[in-house]
Amino acid sequence: MNVSELLNKQSILIPLEISDKTECMQAMVDALALSGCVTDKSAYLEAVMNREKTGSTGIGFGVAIPHGKSAGVSKPGLAFAKLAKQTDWDSLDGEPVSVVFMIAVPEAAAGNEHLQILIAISRKLIDEDFRNKLFAVQDSEELIGLLQTI
Amino acid sequence: MKKIIAVTACPTGVAHTYMAAESLVKAAKDKQIELKVETRGAVGVENEITEQEIAEAHAVIIAADTDVLESRFQGKPVVKVRVAQAIKDPKGLIDQALNMQASDPTDYLKQVNKSKAERSSARTGPYKHLMTGVSAMLPLVIAGGLLIAISFMFGYDAFKVEGSLPDALMRIGNGAAFALMVPILAGFIAFSIAEKPGLAPGLVGGMLASQIGAGFIGGIAAGFLAGYLAKWLKNTIKLPRNLEGLKPILLIPLIATAITGLLMVFVIGEPVKFIMDSLTEWLKSLGTTNAILLGLLLGAMMAFDMGGPVNKAAYTFAVGLLASNQFGPMAAVMAAGMTPPLGLWLATLLAPKKFTQEERDGGKSAAVLGISFITEGAIPFAASDPFRVIPSIMVGSAVTGALSMVFGATLRAPHGGIFVVWLVNPIWLYALAIIIGTVVTALMLTILKKPVKQELAGGV
Repeated sequence: MNVSELLNKQSILIPLEISDKTECMQAMVDALALSGCVTDKSAYLEAVMNREKTGSTGIGFGVAIPHGKSAGVSKPGLAFAKLAKQTDWDSLDGEPVSVVFMIAVPEAAAGNEHLQILIAISRKLIDEDFRNKLFAVQDSEELIGLLQTI
Repeated sequence: MKKIIAVTACPTGVAHTYMAAESLVKAAKDKQIELKVETRGAVGVENEITEQEIAEAHAVIIAADTDVLESRFQGKPVVKVRVAQAIKDPKGLIDQALNMQASDPTDYLKQVNKSKAERSSARTGPYKHLMTGVSAMLPLVIAGGLLIAISFMFGYDAFKVEGSLPDALMRIGNGAAFALMVPILAGFIAFSIAEKPGLAPGLVGGMLASQIGAGFIGGIAAGFLAGYLAKWLKNTIKLPRNLEGLKPILLIPLIATAITGLLMVFVIGEPVKFIMDSLTEWLKSLGTTNAILLGLLLGAMMAFDMGGPVNKAAYTFAVGLLASNQFGPMAAVMAAGMTPPLGLWLATLLAPKKFTQEERDGGKSAAVLGISFITEGAIPFAASDPFRVIPSIMVGSAVTGALSMVFGATLRAPHGGIFVVWLVNPIWLYALAIIIGTVVTALMLTILKKPVKQELAGGV
């Protein structure tokens, strides 16, 4: 699967040094802006935060997938962060988070293939083997290599 | 083996919908349960559950934060949770679904057939158009009727004093609100059929129905005529693009209004006048010798079209007799004109399931209109379900009319309802005649009317 259109070196943060969830979000939104997916950072961040208010995106097993649909997004994109230290995310299982995927989706429905890739990654996160490999990723090449296998 | 079906959905539709689906599939595989998951996400509905699969399923899991068309699972046991719950505890959800009491499969099939029938009857054109018209008209009937009733409270002929408050109330209620009733009914029926281009011809057709005395039945005819005509013109007239703009504001309203109007005046108007005249003549020829038969007839006529030609023939006949000092038919006519709204009010209490929420609320006002001899209070009910309501109210009114004649009740005032009841002699037997007619009407309605379709339950 070709994930390179969705994420690149600018949006892969290994490791990411942050002190809490909010700081993590801001850093990842900045990364998505750098990679060219997000054009209006505050609008997109607001969408992500609003989504978070309806229920935590910490899906458990140490993984969080904050996401937002906003007009501040120009094309579908993905940011990845491996946190330097485990961070509290109000997760469903109460455990802290060490891996974060941030998903950006434009307001107007864009090409389905990008969405399909995002969906495939989301599905894959349920697979324990895949998660273990994800936790073991050391740099951006390894991550992209792992995502290509989906 | 028990089969489970599930639906997952979330607002953004890229992450939770699919993780929830994946979690459920995985858990089902571990437990060796057959499970199908429909996902409703950003790329649309995938793996959609068929009716066949719903029928075969033991239970349904809904893990969603948005609408998933839940009504299609009516009659099935449903475990409904937030989408996150399916990621957190998929096994627990499947266990819960397996432990649900399975519904009787025939129950579900019945439910499906029933809701299909309801849907088609609710959605198909004419009924929907009729309901649009009735619901636009209803507030006019209630507001106008209640204002007339208030005017009567000052005395049944207090409105004859020009410039007085009762006079103003009567002008508002009868002169304006009731005058708008049939045009609005027709206008909104046509609007529902043809959208905006239908409104003008519908309103005009309804106004003409009102003026030629064709009543609400004439109004319904005018509304459908104008609506379908406008719709047909909209689809048929083809113009060069630079003239296309003329179509909705000039051509359709002009042609549809002209044709509807001409048909109302020449094709509907003449027969209506003829019916009214010949009915009046016929009543005169019957005379007052056979009191019971006359009471039955007058009663049934009062209820038949409430303000239309048949009703007017009966009413004018009775008013005409006042001049020749015959007061019996007037009493019968008034009693028979009171029972339709009263009977409908009683029926909304006896069989609430057979009326819409709007009708149940309207029922209370109908009671006030009924005791005030404002028969129009029954029109919204009759217009929305004519073939069941009109026969019911006719029977009730006929019984009341006949009883009033048998009891020898007399009335010298041509209107006023409860505000002139003290003029009636004998008052208690007269009240009894009205009560019996009301009960008969309500019983007829509870037997004839079908339960209203259930409102479809919306999701989160």
